Amino acid sequence: MKYYPTIGIECHVQLSTKTKLFSEVDNDARGKEPNSCVSPVDYALPGMLPRLNKEAVRFCILAGRAMNCEINAFSRFDRKHYFYPDSPKGYQITQFYQPIIGAGHVDLPSGVSVRINHAHLEGDAGKLTHFDTYSLVDFNRVDTPLIEIVSEPDIHSAKDAHDYCKELWRLMRYAGVTYGDLYNGNMRFDVNVSIAPEGSKELGTRAEVKNLNSFRSVERAVEYEISRQSKILDKGGKVIQETLGWNDATGVTTGQRSKEEAKDYRYMPEPDLPPIHLSDEYIKSESEKLPMMPADYREKFGKVIKEDILEILLDYPALMQKLDEMACDKAADTVALPLIANLFASVLLAEEKSAEYLNDLPSAKQLSELAEMNEKKELSSTATKEVFLKMFDPQMKNKDARTIAKELGVVQENDLGALEAIVDAVLKKPETLKAQEDFKAGSEKVLGFLVGQVMKESKGKANPSAVQDILRKKLA
Amino acid sequence: MNVDVDTINHLAELSNFSISEKECESLKKDLGEILKYVSLLDEVDVDGVEPTYQVFEMENVWREDAILPQEANRGQLLALSKEQKDNQVKVPKVL
Repeated sequence: MKYYPTIGIECHVQLSTKTKLFSEVDNDARGKEPNSCVSPVDYALPGMLPRLNKEAVRFCILAGRAMNCEINAFSRFDRKHYFYPDSPKGYQITQFYQPIIGAGHVDLPSGVSVRINHAHLEGDAGKLTHFDTYSLVDFNRVDTPLIEIVSEPDIHSAKDAHDYCKELWRLMRYAGVTYGDLYNGNMRFDVNVSIAPEGSKELGTRAEVKNLNSFRSVERAVEYEISRQSKILDKGGKVIQETLGWNDATGVTTGQRSKEEAKDYRYMPEPDLPPIHLSDEYIKSESEKLPMMPADYREKFGKVIKEDILEILLDYPALMQKLDEMACDKAADTVALPLIANLFASVLLAEEKSAEYLNDLPSAKQLSELAEMNEKKELSSTATKEVFLKMFDPQMKNKDARTIAKELGVVQENDLGALEAIVDAVLKKPETLKAQEDFKAGSEKVLGFLVGQVMKESKGKANPSAVQDILRKKLA
Repeated sequence: MNVDVDTINHLAELSNFSISEKECESLKKDLGEILKYVSLLDEVDVDGVEPTYQVFEMENVWREDAILPQEANRGQLLALSKEQKDNQVKVPKVL
């Protein structure tokens, strides 16, 4: 039978504030010793009180607005109780009843719009490492600020699930609220998948795959669940509502602990944290600080830069900003922007140099000049690429495009007088006489040979199309 | 509300307590009494009244995002746990 999948996704985003959500401790534990970024508050010693980080609240406004969400003027915290060694308090401080971020929507490049139910602010748990007979606990991650983004079940394919997660990743990085390092778990996805016979009005029983940390594993886990559940229903069985884990190596979901029956978190208002009350002016003034988002860039550049190229570049907010700077420059137009966009896409990304290269981008002025030289045929396409790459070279990167091109000796000779002199010199050479005669007799293909000779004589600096014109005139 | 043995055991599990059968009996009685007493409040009509989340009427108690040196160091904090290994807290195997 044909089934129609319905998917909802919860996404945890670690915020890149300097300190943790409730204590004045370093929130960036990357590459640091276990338990070296921990305070008595994180350790939940008796009498310790949480102290809310205002920056995390501000980040919520940015993240919320990036997803077209309402920002709730009033929000507050609740305790969610559970016992597990990764939580020294015995409860998580979260926002169960009145979250800070309200309803909104995320629009995917394909045109699919996914509604956001809400997003709430909460503290992360510690990190457990499991060994044969024991587990070790590192509390560095305890109360790193997280926002949990809860989507409506508006996703109906593995591809859309992938695209939604990727778009969230972009939005959060453009908003500047997370490092967005998936490898280190800065963003984690829980995916709810159910299927129902096509045309059916009721939704099927859902299974939740927890803790996915890449777009690819989201896509694969959804594909796997759709096929697993389809097989069960085809055989007349029933899908059980359960929590599953994903094994990236085997490509299979497996049942985790069945704590469904004990799911009683005894939520209660957090007595140690007074509520948050944001003024309209504050929400407005912070919202206005949101930079251009992927949707804005699509709108602005969609007609100039090819869609597939644009979608590659959109993964890099700094690069898009650079293109936007170029677009503000008068020199940039419908020719320069696509040229630079293509250079970035093909030269950098295809060679997977993105990470190191994109730390330090050439200036908009350098790029505009490069585009201009290419347009005026002072640089061949090969030479343009060559100069472009040198702009990332530590020795050369502060020089302008013309200086680099001159140093490389790749500026094309467009001076017709100079070119004519070179052509004349070549035509006098005995080895070109036969070709000249052949051309006059009607053989077009020898022209290439003659152009090649001129290029050689000019040490590659002549503009080939100009050379061809001169040759045709001289041999007519 | 009637408090039965199952309720007591459920609460004990949620609270991570192990209790004996004898304790269970006395808790059953005590909790039943407490609930009966508190249920007096059911007579009050609270329709449309916002719950009291906080009694001090404070709002926006927050701090700037700046790292401060901590008085307690890792060694002192780890020393509070029963067992440590490799600068981490060692616990019985979970999962």
